[in-house]
Amino acid sequence: MNKVILILVILALCACSKGSQEDAYVPVPVEVEIPSNFPNIVYNLENNQITEAGFELGKKLFYEGRLSANDAISCGFCHEQAFAFTHHEHTVSHGLNGGVGKRNTQPIQNLAYQSEFMWDGAATHLDLQPIIPITAEVEMGETLSNVMSKLRADTYYQNQFGKVFEDGEINSENMLKALSQFMIMMVSSNSKYDKYVRNEDNIGLTSTELDGLKTFKNKCSSCHASDLFTDQSYRNTGLPVNPKLNDKGRYAIFENTGDLYKFKVPSLRNIEKTNPYMHDGRFLTLEAVLNFYDSGIVENGGDVDTVFKKEDGSLGITLSEYEKESLIAFLKTLTDNAFLNDERFSEF
Amino acid sequence: MKILKFTFALLLCATFSSCTSDDDNAEDLTGQTGDIVIKFDNGVGDQDFIFGTSYNRSNGESFKLETLKYIVSNVRFKDNQGNTFMYPVDDNIFIVNETDGNNAGEILVTLKNVDAANYTEVTFGIGVDQARFALGADGQGDFLAEAQDEGMMWTWASGYKFIRLDGTYTSNTVTDEGLNLHMGSVGTTLDNYKETTLNFPNEVLVREGKTPEIHIKADLMMAFEGITSVNFADGYDQVHVDAVETPVIAANVASMFTVHHVHNN
Repeated sequence: MNKVILILVILALCACSKGSQEDAYVPVPVEVEIPSNFPNIVYNLENNQITEAGFELGKKLFYEGRLSANDAISCGFCHEQAFAFTHHEHTVSHGLNGGVGKRNTQPIQNLAYQSEFMWDGAATHLDLQPIIPITAEVEMGETLSNVMSKLRADTYYQNQFGKVFEDGEINSENMLKALSQFMIMMVSSNSKYDKYVRNEDNIGLTSTELDGLKTFKNKCSSCHASDLFTDQSYRNTGLPVNPKLNDKGRYAIFENTGDLYKFKVPSLRNIEKTNPYMHDGRFLTLEAVLNFYDSGIVENGGDVDTVFKKEDGSLGITLSEYEKESLIAFLKTLTDNAFLNDERFSEF
Repeated sequence: MKILKFTFALLLCATFSSCTSDDDNAEDLTGQTGDIVIKFDNGVGDQDFIFGTSYNRSNGESFKLETLKYIVSNVRFKDNQGNTFMYPVDDNIFIVNETDGNNAGEILVTLKNVDAANYTEVTFGIGVDQARFALGADGQGDFLAEAQDEGMMWTWASGYKFIRLDGTYTSNTVTDEGLNLHMGSVGTTLDNYKETTLNFPNEVLVREGKTPEIHIKADLMMAFEGITSVNFADGYDQVHVDAVETPVIAANVASMFTVHHVHNN
């Protein structure tokens, strides 16, 4: 019996070694975290099973300058981890040849739970989102075919694409899937607030934070709903239109006048780190945001959301000084340091 | 043994020659020049400035602007050795106009052929100093025409508007009344030219082929509240040549500027 086992073991070992050309990569599946206080994952994982090698490839691509025309602007250039993958303190971002965009860089977090992407919902599948910044003239300014040529010339990518994908091809589909694998794993769900609602680690909120949570539930959570802190709808929040940018928001997608000046409700997770705020970054602090909601909302030529219409016909969400203060204290509990420091997502 | 000594000597030589000190006197920058880009970024308190947006003041008044321009001149930099580089006087006057801003609302002023050095601070004036003004129309070069085109020249009295803010204000007694702040010197009788010196958070390194960027923020709220807080309702809604009002605004405006950050490229 022992001899049989020994022979079998030797055979198994021999079978596994293929020689120097290619390691026989056994895909190591990776499970996506589904926190108990989150809704279901929207992304169809069956079409793109996440593996360790796929995640690694996605990470390499995320920080790969050659996705841009000057080989120097990677996704990580605007999406900085320490700031929840936003462009620290930039109202709008700058890219290739000093080009300046019109919109504030959004965080990359919990995207697996969302169905549409970009401030105007231009990308309806996570796999397709990177095409927008890669090809935008003021961002990375490249073409997908050029990117493919550059990647194909690199032995790391030759090997890695071979490991991750059955067909081993370095093509757009595989590149975008790898990027999605990386982004899907970016789940932010371990903030002070999360531990409080899940009763973990004996974490409690201070009385100011609790007051802020209460105000939040009464005055903010109709749009900033669920523990994703967004209902993923598009709203006109009565921001005065910046005549220089004249950004029409979601109107650009369907040219539906009802969509004029509507932008996607953003998640508020890690908001402490993602300043400045709004689709064009016009508010540099959370105080400025709350002051706007209290007294800065205007009729801007689109359909300002009815949620802002007060009984007397004026616009806004009335907030006392204490309500603003406690809301900000609460919003800071959404900072997830484990996520911001998670080495799995770091370039170095 | 000889080989060992020789090797040791070589090693010592290599060590000493490879250690470069941080003292830039050792780096010979003579004759080198580079460019500097200054980005002026106007804001109001904790908000970016946007035309037509109403901004609330702590005195209960609010304002909206349709025009925002100011003149910057006599830009000079001090380096880490205490030397000052003054940008050539003839070219050293600029109109910073918010409508010239890029999408991020930054107005770029490019200074060419600045002496290579490590700079630690910048000094500039808001407006036109008496010396330049005394050169008369001939001495102003192209600037006179540019200022006229930009509406930065008074029509009835000779002199420049150093800052021009046009828009409306609202208080608890009036709504959307005209707000026009055109502060400048008044001929040679009232000199409202003021300067400001700003430190850099890290040294600006000017070298051949390099173009560092200096991002300067101007907080417009300070124009009304920086040194002396003024109420539009008290007459500060119309500031033109008044001997009392204009110096107050001049001092306030000089306090608007800070260096937000510096990029060395």
